[in-house]
Amino acid sequence: MIDIKNKVNSFFIFNSTFGPKEGDELKRILFYHPSQVTQDARKIQVGLCEAVVKFMTTFSTEPCEALQTQSKRYIFYQPEKDYWMVLVVRIPYATKAATTSNEKKEVIEPSVMQDFLMSAYKMFRMFIGPMKDIPTEDIYNNCEQFFTPYIMSRSIANDINNVIQGISYLPLEKNSFFRVVCFIDLLEINYPDFKCVSFVYNDKLIWNGLTTDDMLTLYQYLVQTLLPKQVEKEIQGGAVTAAQRHGRFISPPEGIRNADDLQKLHKVYLMREEDTETKQYYLVIYRTLSATVCFTVDVTTNLSIDTFRSLDAFIGPQLSTIASSISEQCALHALQSTQLSNTDHSFIYFNRLNLAYKTSAPSSSLTPSTAIKPEVLSIIAGIHSDRKSLGNYGEIIIKTPDEYWVTGKSSNDREFYVIIQEKNANLKDIADEVRRICEDQMKGIFFYPM
Amino acid sequence: MAKFSLKDSDEYYLSLSEQPKRFDADSPVTNVFFDDTNGQVFTVRSGGVTGVTVNGMDDSKCTSFRMEDKGPIISIKFSPDHKILAIQRNIEGQNATVEFVNFKDLAPTNIEYTHTCKWKNAKILGFVWPRASEIAFITDHGIELLQVLPDKKQLKTLKSTSFSGAWFSWCAQSNIILLAGNNGALLQPFSLNSSTITKLQKLEVEWSRPVMERDVFVLRLCGAAWCALFRHAAAAPTVSGPTEVWLMPISGGGSVQHVLKTGLTGRFAVSVVDHLLVIHHQSSQTSQIFDIMEEAKPENNVVMHLPLVQGVSMRPASVDDQPCPMYSGNWVVFQPDYVIDARLGCLWRVQLLPAGLAHSVLKDDVPRVVAALLRRRAGRDTIYRVLNQLVAHAGTYLVELTKCFDEINSVYRRWADAEVARNTAGAGAAHGRAHFPVLLAQADVCAHVLAPRADEPHLVAALTAYLASLARHALPAQPDAAALAVRALLTRGAGARLRALVRRGCLGDARPLACQLLSLGHLDPAAAQLALDMMWRLKAHGDVVEVLLSWDEPLGAAGAARAGGAWGGVAARKLLAAARAHSPGAFLAAYHALLARNERARGSPHFLNTEQCDIYIDYYRQLTSES
Repeated sequence: MIDIKNKVNSFFIFNSTFGPKEGDELKRILFYHPSQVTQDARKIQVGLCEAVVKFMTTFSTEPCEALQTQSKRYIFYQPEKDYWMVLVVRIPYATKAATTSNEKKEVIEPSVMQDFLMSAYKMFRMFIGPMKDIPTEDIYNNCEQFFTPYIMSRSIANDINNVIQGISYLPLEKNSFFRVVCFIDLLEINYPDFKCVSFVYNDKLIWNGLTTDDMLTLYQYLVQTLLPKQVEKEIQGGAVTAAQRHGRFISPPEGIRNADDLQKLHKVYLMREEDTETKQYYLVIYRTLSATVCFTVDVTTNLSIDTFRSLDAFIGPQLSTIASSISEQCALHALQSTQLSNTDHSFIYFNRLNLAYKTSAPSSSLTPSTAIKPEVLSIIAGIHSDRKSLGNYGEIIIKTPDEYWVTGKSSNDREFYVIIQEKNANLKDIADEVRRICEDQMKGIFFYPM
Repeated sequence: MAKFSLKDSDEYYLSLSEQPKRFDADSPVTNVFFDDTNGQVFTVRSGGVTGVTVNGMDDSKCTSFRMEDKGPIISIKFSPDHKILAIQRNIEGQNATVEFVNFKDLAPTNIEYTHTCKWKNAKILGFVWPRASEIAFITDHGIELLQVLPDKKQLKTLKSTSFSGAWFSWCAQSNIILLAGNNGALLQPFSLNSSTITKLQKLEVEWSRPVMERDVFVLRLCGAAWCALFRHAAAAPTVSGPTEVWLMPISGGGSVQHVLKTGLTGRFAVSVVDHLLVIHHQSSQTSQIFDIMEEAKPENNVVMHLPLVQGVSMRPASVDDQPCPMYSGNWVVFQPDYVIDARLGCLWRVQLLPAGLAHSVLKDDVPRVVAALLRRRAGRDTIYRVLNQLVAHAGTYLVELTKCFDEINSVYRRWADAEVARNTAGAGAAHGRAHFPVLLAQADVCAHVLAPRADEPHLVAALTAYLASLARHALPAQPDAAALAVRALLTRGAGARLRALVRRGCLGDARPLACQLLSLGHLDPAAAQLALDMMWRLKAHGDVVEVLLSWDEPLGAAGAARAGGAWGGVAARKLLAAARAHSPGAFLAAYHALLARNERARGSPHFLNTEQCDIYIDYYRQLTSES
């Protein structure tokens, strides 16, 4: 694969109202990546974007979304009024027309870039808060501290996980699910200040106590940032594994051992499911074996280390029994699904309402899905981002030149994609095959029949 | 340790029956006898000359009469049908003779006769009436079972068995006699059922000292006959500490022995109330109760039991508006639940007050008490009260509440399994509900516990615990429970939990649930999505079509109708109206599909006049002419 990071040309945030006078242009730039770019170059880039955005308002009330030049693609995102986030990627272009076709270079999908910006903003809002609420003197620092590591840790690639951003739910038999829910109930009753907002096993979600949007952000934080580091630590630290049985607080990373550690707890802006507005909470994360539980605690609460110690004693043993019983089930389930999945066609399922996401391709970020070809991915990205084309009810079958059949299905706020590689197939064969896969894989889910 | 106390409950869990049966007190001229088979007290004044009064709990069987004083009476008992009175007297040289008097309408006739048992020089230890016309003489030589022929004034031997016994214990409920041979070192039970004497397996008592008569009780408990043996510390040097009660199965109880740990020493008496073994202890004036049905793992075929709850005394009774002495030395306790105070002249029965069991319980023991209440005939109301209180304080008692639900549902599961077995095996087993005195179905729990507690802060947790317990026992949530869950979860803003439960199949598919979810669709699109899935799974294809039409999805509706086999029944007018409202493209598609349907159904693509599609035919022409 091509080194993706090279392709991100720059990422910056600006607000034109911060330095309206001439000579104050640098004040408008809240954040600029990469940092080695000179101030003049920054001014030029930002200035161009400001101009384009401003210019576009003449034509449309909708904010400007993208700009493409011969060598670069700019994606704009205005999360809050006057705050603009811009992501720029280089487009491989050839000065000579005769480039060989097998060295075809891939371009990041615009929708992927757009989603990247949105995720970045949401993560920022979750940890730091809305931009407009941050005092002007702090915002430069906040952006620097947040976005630099964020950009460095993230790769932007045409991966199926980036094309469709969803939450992977763990299929669980109802008794195990009830164990999880009852455990949460018991915990919340015994520790009324703590509200369990998510229960994640490995990288799959079991319980969600947030609004769907915030859940996605928290889920992405857990699965993409926090948990990989933890897993790495667990693999390295042989001696730690014994202690893991009991579980521990993993945020802050050193754990919570004394009252000082409580000061290091992250504060997050989240909207819980029963809330009507976003509020600030402490985020407490606990992990045993492969189960990770997140709690929110109101920031007005007086935290005491004794509560945390007793919570540790309470959760540890219970969570590890639950985790081990889930792991048994997962093993069983994995066994069954390997026996079941005799199909070598890949499929992707996405539910817009709960952001549930399921795919036949390995969804872990460690093993990128090489199974899906870039062209195919680009088609899926197109169908997914252009919701109007399929509407709430429809099916589209596309054949690529290299014998891939891509089927997109939309029904009742759900999307289902099937990729079939079949040389000598006709439209009807594909339609039948898709129907079969849909019935096999999505039991009990109703897709409007064609 | 925190204690649970049921609100408005009394500390007493046992009481004597409200109105005691009164009889003339024991005195030098009056003798009192008790027949535990019929539960009757005989007061014999001046040897019967000045009258015999028979008192029992059944007023229709009470009577009084006079008879000749032919000598001191040892035992006097009616046959179970009250047609024959048998009297054993202590007359020198007549040790083996019993007198009989025929009765008619509870009045003596002048037909009297006697019978002497087959062993002429035997001593009759006692006699019992196993059946209406059968009497058994228990002698120190053995048992003789006789049939009484009152018209012929004679008795016919049915069966006899030789056994050298010193004393015996009789259980009228199981017709079992336990004879103590070898001066109490050998305990041999006999069954007197079906007009014969059956020797049962003797009881192995490996104690160094012989068993005393007052330490042995034969009783019927949980459908089986048991021998209760008091094992005092003094009786066996190997046993130290307080007295234990050993329950040894005689017949029908399997092979498991139960050991009841009383933790006390002294004089005891035993009653059986509602399948509970009650051990009265005189010196501490307490009565402990043991439930041998509670779940426990036998070790070496022995199960240890502790008292169900801490022992308290029986509720003080009063006689003639005076408090009556409880646990007095004048009390005689008979099986199964009679208490007699011979000095006061009172006959009571011991009663269970179920609410008292929950008066003061260790927090951890609440599920155990509920489990015990589930096995009591009168336990239902107390269970409701306990559960209500637990739900109201779910913040403290969620774990206990969960376990209580498990107890309730495991009983229900067993009952359901038994019903299935009964139905498949045919009408063979007659004892259907008898094993399950309290059966709490989902509707009961919902109506009496969860629904009335709809305002409790922790209702969602309690409800989830209940649903989880149902799932653990493989009981599908019924519409009552599901409807309650939906209502409760939504009013508490737990819509996500509701959806999660539906997604994981925890609530079970049902049409009412689907409709409820559907009606939430305007607030929560995800609920409508799930509702539609559920309807499709339930094969309610007609409903799905209606829903899609109302959602402005005419083509989806047509597709669903075709896939579900409801295509023929879709009203053309309705579909066309929806399609026209949606878009011209959709209208054309629907129109063509309907033409094809007409063609197939009637051989012609045209609509019938009765379908009233004229305006749509015009609209179609208009559309097609434009293009």
